[in-house]
Amino acid sequence: MVFNTLTFAAFFLIVVLVHSLPLPWTQRKINLLIFSYIFYAAWNPPFILLLWISTVVDWYAAQGLVRAERPVARRAWMLLSVIANLGMLLYFKYGTFLLHNFAALAGALGVHYSPPPFDIVLPVGISFYTFATMSYTLDVYLRRALPARNFLDYALFVTFFPHLVAGPIMRPTELVPQFEAPRRATRQQLCFGLGLMTLGLFNKVVIADTFLSNAAERVFDHGSAPGFLDSWFGTLAFSGQIFCDFAGYSTTAIGAALCLGFFMPDNFRFPYAAVGFSDFWRRWHITLSSWLRDYLYIPLGGNRHGPFRLNLALMGTMLLGGLWHGANWTFVVWGGLHGTYLIVERRLRAWFKGYTPGPFVLFGLGLVTYMLVNLTWVFFRAKDFPIAWRVLRGMLGMNPDAKPILATVYIVVVATVTPMLVAVHWFMRNRTLETALARVPPLVIALALGLMITLIAISQGTGNAFIYFQF
Amino acid sequence: MPSSTSSSRRLTASDRPGVAQPVPERDVPAHHWGQIVLGALLVAALSIGGWEWHWRAFGATPASRDDAALWARQRARIDHGDGDATVLIGASRTFFDVQLPVWEQLSGRRPIQLALNGTSPTTPLEALADDPNFKGRLLIGVAPDVFFSGFEYQGNTFKVYGKQSPSDRVGKWLSMHFVEPYLAFYDPDFALFTVIKRQDWPLRKGMEGGTQVRKLNQAEADRSNHMWSKVENDPIYRALTRSIWSEEFHDPPPTADELVEQKKTMYLQIARNAAAVARLRARGVTVVYVREPSTGDYLEYENGKFPRSQAWDSLIEHVHVPGIYYDDYPQLRSSHYEFPEWSHMKHESAERYTRELYAILQSRFPPEDGSRW
Repeated sequence: MVFNTLTFAAFFLIVVLVHSLPLPWTQRKINLLIFSYIFYAAWNPPFILLLWISTVVDWYAAQGLVRAERPVARRAWMLLSVIANLGMLLYFKYGTFLLHNFAALAGALGVHYSPPPFDIVLPVGISFYTFATMSYTLDVYLRRALPARNFLDYALFVTFFPHLVAGPIMRPTELVPQFEAPRRATRQQLCFGLGLMTLGLFNKVVIADTFLSNAAERVFDHGSAPGFLDSWFGTLAFSGQIFCDFAGYSTTAIGAALCLGFFMPDNFRFPYAAVGFSDFWRRWHITLSSWLRDYLYIPLGGNRHGPFRLNLALMGTMLLGGLWHGANWTFVVWGGLHGTYLIVERRLRAWFKGYTPGPFVLFGLGLVTYMLVNLTWVFFRAKDFPIAWRVLRGMLGMNPDAKPILATVYIVVVATVTPMLVAVHWFMRNRTLETALARVPPLVIALALGLMITLIAISQGTGNAFIYFQF
Repeated sequence: MPSSTSSSRRLTASDRPGVAQPVPERDVPAHHWGQIVLGALLVAALSIGGWEWHWRAFGATPASRDDAALWARQRARIDHGDGDATVLIGASRTFFDVQLPVWEQLSGRRPIQLALNGTSPTTPLEALADDPNFKGRLLIGVAPDVFFSGFEYQGNTFKVYGKQSPSDRVGKWLSMHFVEPYLAFYDPDFALFTVIKRQDWPLRKGMEGGTQVRKLNQAEADRSNHMWSKVENDPIYRALTRSIWSEEFHDPPPTADELVEQKKTMYLQIARNAAAVARLRARGVTVVYVREPSTGDYLEYENGKFPRSQAWDSLIEHVHVPGIYYDDYPQLRSSHYEFPEWSHMKHESAERYTRELYAILQSRFPPEDGSRW
């Protein structure tokens, strides 16, 4: 079920009504669990089995970890969880990719190998819920947390519908404690949650889908080489689209959880106002970047073994982070570019240690960061390398004979939305949405939300899936 | 209520490396959010009401949204008990000109309308040929420029059938019961970006213009469809629809290579049809092709691009089933009907045309199993 559909609107209304009934807390949690399974099954019912497998394996693995005394046994339980979850991911998400690469490698060695057809559907959200459940066993293994006291709370943590298919990637310690005592949204939380959902859907339906997606699609899927203007505007459009799509999803999810009385963490912190790439990754898809840091980068050595090992760990983490997004080498390059940026930034920071930039330099560095991030989006959006090179050549003015692709309307829309988006990020750079809203007169907020609802309605979005669903 | 103004920056997992993350903070800004939500709903009701009023003043009335989900609902009928029905496939002329209520009056049963605007019927024909559940009667409309070029403006529609999630199906049901019957603006032609896009934007140097076809029809829940009254009654809008068609007619003449390619495509379409029809005939399905009438500049364009002798006659020769060419039957000739924008009939004309077409089908090409069309 996708947030930007009538089905979800009806579903959510029923969930809020049922959750507000004066029922025992355990019954209300069971209701939420059932609703969450319905939410997932509404997409493809059989894949609920995978969700169950992931849930049950990690529950028993964590129980085993608690009982195990010898390090070998603890490690075995941890590996069971990791292998079960990564195994599912490998099979469903990377099966075709691995087979094709194996065939290509065999071909390069002179061995002809034609892989059998491997047409399987990617279960929606598998990358998200496998990471969520793995964090449960890994936290117990690393002795950062105790296992959940009962299976219901744990199963609801895995399945809770607001975060299930596209995050924010929740940690058990963030959500399980919220299920231990009865919770019900206050009127203020319910209404503010609805406001957040409106803002999130406005980002997705109006800005990402209505205003920006067409320009990006035309440039990246056109089939001919774009010129300078088209390449940049197509890339800027995608840059805005992917932020508004994903941050819109996260905001809607946070709002939906708040309407039910639960708190979910921020997943974005105005990333296009980042200065440098370590700052960018503290602002972009925070729950993934912190997951990779805590369960991959730090175990790989982090910054504990000197600069060389640090750079290796950093690059390895970013390459795998890239691959997490999709089974394509373009995503690996995207991750590799970010890894390179991070390594170069560390070196620059060491050289300029003690230097504090003034506001103009800071803004300039922010723009440089933004532009370099845009370059990486080319690899993220392009379906293959020839397309990516085509667009990059266009951005460098190396497609002089290119015919124009984007009609004036797309240029005007992207030229209007992009500066506004970047300006909002800079204004909000050191603020939270809540602190900013606290200073805005209620009448203005009501007017803005009313207009957002109107624009969502008259955009007539057709329920396009969120970009991150494919990951 | 916790105040958010005490801290301008909320900590996240990015600020707490290598530890168990605590329950997140979630503040609510210090406003009366109930009043804000009520105010927002009031603003939304007024502005959406204004938008609705604007489009009703333009001539729009609520109609079914003819999208892939609606098409899939009709397609599903064949696999769920209506496999012996009469099925209509073709492009927009079959969609506009064959009136389901009239057909139902004459035959006692409403046909299944699967024709799609600007889309060749060859792909759905092949799907029906491969579907053993379909054992009824098949009418295939031929609009030459779409049919013989294999053009599929709504080609993605075919991919939806059989791949809809339960959520998609529920969403369409909700839309059909709670949105489409009440909101006239809920039509792709009035969507925000479509409206923005069709403003008079200057053309970029080196780019060719091209106006998107405007709203021409009104559909119902079972894809019964007719021409929109604005096209019939508003001379300015009618002139606009004609001018949009005309943009197609003034393309430079094809080069010799393009002509060869065009013919190759045409013969490929004919061969695909012949193969699919043979499969249908093998299991006793009655199939008839119909070249629906058109007039004016559109007819001239079609005749120039796909002359009857090369296209239609060749098709009928290869498919080995009957074909009704409108000009061969005095009662179907275009002079008897009104075509506000050259391609499709007025609603009233379409009703008369359906009667005449049905009479010809039933008298000249009756189904072999003795049933009625």
